[in-house]
Amino acid sequence: MGNFEFPWQYNFPPFFTLQPNADTRRKQLDAWRSLVLDYHRHNKQYTLDIAEAQSSDLFFNKSINRKLSLESINTVLEELRKTENLEWKDKSKKQCMIMWRSPAEWAKLIYQWVTNNGMNNTVCTIYELQNGDDTKDEDFHGLDSWLLDKALKLLVSQHKAETISYDGSDGVKFF
Amino acid sequence: MHRRGAGIAAIKKKNLAQARYKDKGTELASEQLTQLSKQLDSFRSYLEDFASKHKGEIRKDADFRRQFQEMCAAIGVDPLASGKGFWSEMLGYGDFYYELGVQIIEVCMATNHRNGGLIDIEELRLRLIASTGRNRQDITTDDLLMAIKKLKVLGNGFTIIPTGRSQIIQSVPRELTLDHTAVLKAAEGKAFVTSEELQKELKWEKERSYRALDYMVKEGLAWVDDQSRPHQQYWFPGLFSDSMAAA
Repeated sequence: MGNFEFPWQYNFPPFFTLQPNADTRRKQLDAWRSLVLDYHRHNKQYTLDIAEAQSSDLFFNKSINRKLSLESINTVLEELRKTENLEWKDKSKKQCMIMWRSPAEWAKLIYQWVTNNGMNNTVCTIYELQNGDDTKDEDFHGLDSWLLDKALKLLVSQHKAETISYDGSDGVKFF
Repeated sequence: MHRRGAGIAAIKKKNLAQARYKDKGTELASEQLTQLSKQLDSFRSYLEDFASKHKGEIRKDADFRRQFQEMCAAIGVDPLASGKGFWSEMLGYGDFYYELGVQIIEVCMATNHRNGGLIDIEELRLRLIASTGRNRQDITTDDLLMAIKKLKVLGNGFTIIPTGRSQIIQSVPRELTLDHTAVLKAAEGKAFVTSEELQKELKWEKERSYRALDYMVKEGLAWVDDQSRPHQQYWFPGLFSDSMAAA
């Protein structure tokens, strides 16, 4: 995985100060929104911890010594929530899921893989899907359990899959 | 005292002479006219020769283009006055600037969301080269200024703001007063300015500096940096390039 390429704004010092002008702030928040998504997509990360966020290089550009305040980080996260790219894990809003791909998109990818490999009407364990050798080259390899669960539930509701428990390990049968 | 009277004969004679002079005058004028148009014809054919011989150089070589421009200016010809006619047909010379003009508009529109319609001419040049590929290595800022001046025929959309060291191109019609251009000049080179600098360097009252800066924030031209020390900085994305960041 190559180094993440930050957008030009990341080196523009006032990018780390929430702008007073409404139009400018709109552009700024849009840029932050894409940056957070791109950053997580690049690093294949799915969760964000508020306590760690401020020291992460995503929100803190050490080379120009500018960081986004906690309050501003929350404003950016709220933007992501509005566009359904974020879901809080807990009520106290300490940890959240960053969904750079929606559960529906994940569901589609997984089902495509199933069909392409003639796995219809067979059973996979959740572990195999996430960590198995067969999925090594797939984007959903290593997918966060919480997100995978959401995607599978969607497939179940579309009658494309059925979740089963067998011998204490969770599995899924695709149709 | 005896004076020769002005008899009928004398008047007739005078009239005759006047008529002859007039005829001669017309004759001379028409001779000059034919001469002149002959000269113009040969001038034109020389220029056509020159043009077709050096067509490639004019399009490719920025220095050659500039000298050609100067030559035309010296004899009072504006090769860009019209897109049609022999200049553009022979040289593709007008086309060169018209194409450039269109590309300038494209770059300004594409960067408008970032810079609010203000861009440093060097930045514009680099972006233009990047967007049009390797064949455009030799576009100079002179070429850009020329093309932008030609864009004026489209209305007052484009303004060139001289800033001492360089020029800033404004692509969104907007009222900028002398105070605002003074702020841009002060910010040039580092892309930011503080109220304190304006007070010190321009001998402005605090109130005047904030009035100018606040207007530019309101117009989306400037961004506020609350984390700068010791003073709050006002940044201009149109003057900012990535290389400035680490400083």
